[in-house]
Amino acid sequence: MYQAERSGAMVRAPPAAAGARQRGARVSRNVVVLGTVSLLTDVSSEMVAAILPIYLVFALGASPLQFGIVDGIYQGVSALVRLASGFLADRWRRHKEVAAVGYGLSAACKAGLVGISGSVAAIGGIVLVDRTGKGIRTAPRDALIALSSAPSALATAFGVHRAMDTAGAMLGPLVAFGLLLIAPARFDAIFVVSLCFAVLGLAVLLLFANGRPRERAEALDGDEAAASSTTARPTLREAAALFAEPRFRTLVVAAGILAIATISDGFVYLGLQRILGFSLTAFPLLFVGSAAVYMALAIPIGRLADRVGRRLVFVVGYALLLPVYAVLLLPSAGIPGLVLALCALGAYYAATDGVLQAIASGLLPDNLRASGLALLVTATSLAKLASSVAFGLIWTLGGLEVAAAGFTVALVVALLAATMILARSPEVAS
Amino acid sequence: MSSRALALAAVVVVCVICGAGYVTVAALTADGTTSDAQPRLVLDSDGAAALAPGSELLVRAVDYDNPRLNGRLFTLTLAAGQQPRTAGDLACERVHENAAGAGLCLAAKRHGFDYEGVVYGAGRRPLHRFSIPGVPDRARVSPDSRYAGFTAFLSGHTYSAGVRSFSTHTAIVDMRAGKPLFNLDELEVTRDGEPFERADANFWGVAFTDGDHFYATLGSGRNHYLLEARVSTRRARVIGEHIECPSPSPDSTRIAYKRRIGKQDRWRLHVLDLRSGRDVPLSERRSIDDQPEWLDNDTIVYSDDRNVYAVPADGSGRPHRIVARASSPVALR
Repeated sequence: MYQAERSGAMVRAPPAAAGARQRGARVSRNVVVLGTVSLLTDVSSEMVAAILPIYLVFALGASPLQFGIVDGIYQGVSALVRLASGFLADRWRRHKEVAAVGYGLSAACKAGLVGISGSVAAIGGIVLVDRTGKGIRTAPRDALIALSSAPSALATAFGVHRAMDTAGAMLGPLVAFGLLLIAPARFDAIFVVSLCFAVLGLAVLLLFANGRPRERAEALDGDEAAASSTTARPTLREAAALFAEPRFRTLVVAAGILAIATISDGFVYLGLQRILGFSLTAFPLLFVGSAAVYMALAIPIGRLADRVGRRLVFVVGYALLLPVYAVLLLPSAGIPGLVLALCALGAYYAATDGVLQAIASGLLPDNLRASGLALLVTATSLAKLASSVAFGLIWTLGGLEVAAAGFTVALVVALLAATMILARSPEVAS
Repeated sequence: MSSRALALAAVVVVCVICGAGYVTVAALTADGTTSDAQPRLVLDSDGAAALAPGSELLVRAVDYDNPRLNGRLFTLTLAAGQQPRTAGDLACERVHENAAGAGLCLAAKRHGFDYEGVVYGAGRRPLHRFSIPGVPDRARVSPDSRYAGFTAFLSGHTYSAGVRSFSTHTAIVDMRAGKPLFNLDELEVTRDGEPFERADANFWGVAFTDGDHFYATLGSGRNHYLLEARVSTRRARVIGEHIECPSPSPDSTRIAYKRRIGKQDRWRLHVLDLRSGRDVPLSERRSIDDQPEWLDNDTIVYSDDRNVYAVPADGSGRPHRIVARASSPVALR
């Protein structure tokens, strides 16, 4: 486990103070607490996600197509919810409470799965509420991570959080599988255990997370003026004006350009399967492989980003997709190619996901952090959705090689463009 | 701080006790005694008497409330006063068998996490098992017991909202070896003598006419083609369009199938006369997602995943429910 700072020294010292640099390598206790919350919650939700398709079809007689529809509705709802929750958390200055509502909703959904039986529509509704909960909690939680961390250690902090989060996502399906071995076809047992993990996650959040790390730090420091200036209640207009802020706008544009040239990992896995012709049963192993690399590299790459520059690591992270695309274009790469592609994909996630949030956190004012992070994530996920649709279309019309070649060219162009755009604006707000 | 630690400890203890306790009870009762429960599937004798009285049918029970009974096989004689009879110990999501009693059962593995194909012989005793990479959908055995075909939905293949796609895995099974021989992806498909290649081709709904020839569906985008294929050559020809889940009649003159209506996932059952080209919709007006089965040369049976129905094959009359709480009907001839 990553070394947590004891006795809340981080909380008491103003993070931007001179001492922060030495402490930069360490991570605040609050980040580890939030990482633990995410780990427990991910175990809870991924163990259900792993068995949900089979539960719907095997136990409830739904068609896989019905499940696809449920899955589809979510995207739009999630984007709206994320923006609203990010803004409200900033407006009310209640990041912890808004995040708790999101975690609580998901826990309530697990209780709902235990309580109801037999209706596909009800399950669909519960899945929708569950993912709404995820949409609500993401932005305020990331804002809390940023507020709890020294500006010089932001990427490390997000790295620690993402490593713990990914560990939970990998553990969940294993727990579910183990339970089904012990109690065959007893999906209710899985829902009960999932509820337990969700409740534990919520309890850790409510009992141990510090909802206002920055504010308290400044209040203790006796600097009332600074406290009030960074915690002024933002208006909707101020949130919208984030786009007028040149450094943040450049970041959103650069991240969006790169996201548009990204082949979604689902397509990468399917392409690898088509080219290399391994058994479809091995499909989930691809996810596990890249997630393991992501988990292992999230912290070291986060520290590297804090040391050598986050934007550099972020752009290099996207460049790591080039070997992945190359393997899709070179069927002769074989198994070594597959391993290379999975490692590169895992490293890409480690160098881009948390690091992007860290860059943005460094640019955003404290009182609009959750709103800004929500805007950024919504923009990049919309770009990724557009790229998925485009990739699917090109694959259908012209074949995998044409699609992969086209996206390789697009990625090279996007990398050049993003590098030029980012090079022209300073990394941290002055 | 310590009071918070105490509160967390309390939550942990409650969660561990509840979770572990529930799992223990579930594990102990997973092989419970409900297997003796009476099947709830019932013969609808009015419906049965109206169409093809006296025929023999194999079905699987649909009983989601009772995991021990769901999928278990039963045979029925379609006549008044008859009761369903237990047919072996297999529990199948989909089943098919031929006149010789050779069958393929697509089943959930014991732990319920994964699926397998079970090749069975006389007395519905399992002979071979092989893994299936997805959720069972269709199964068909050739009349000479040499081959079978099955279709599974690959789960987790919905890539993004807006592009609602699914992927199928359809393979020919060597019944003697007890494992898949080849995937239909490998078929060399032609149309009017020209190679017919589609990057997004999906295959489903195999049905054999003899020990070598079979029909299947090729889906590409919004189009669905009827294929006539051979196991020995692994070649296929496109011989029709808008035809899914073909099922040849016992006299091999017609094909019953489901035809997609509009862009939605709605289907109407049809019968196509192969010689005259005449195509008639059946009198079942609801959307049916099933590979139809011929009870005899005049009657089609199918299920809506809850009940089994029969309908005249010439488009006349009306559908009759013949078995309640059953699916995957197979005519025993």
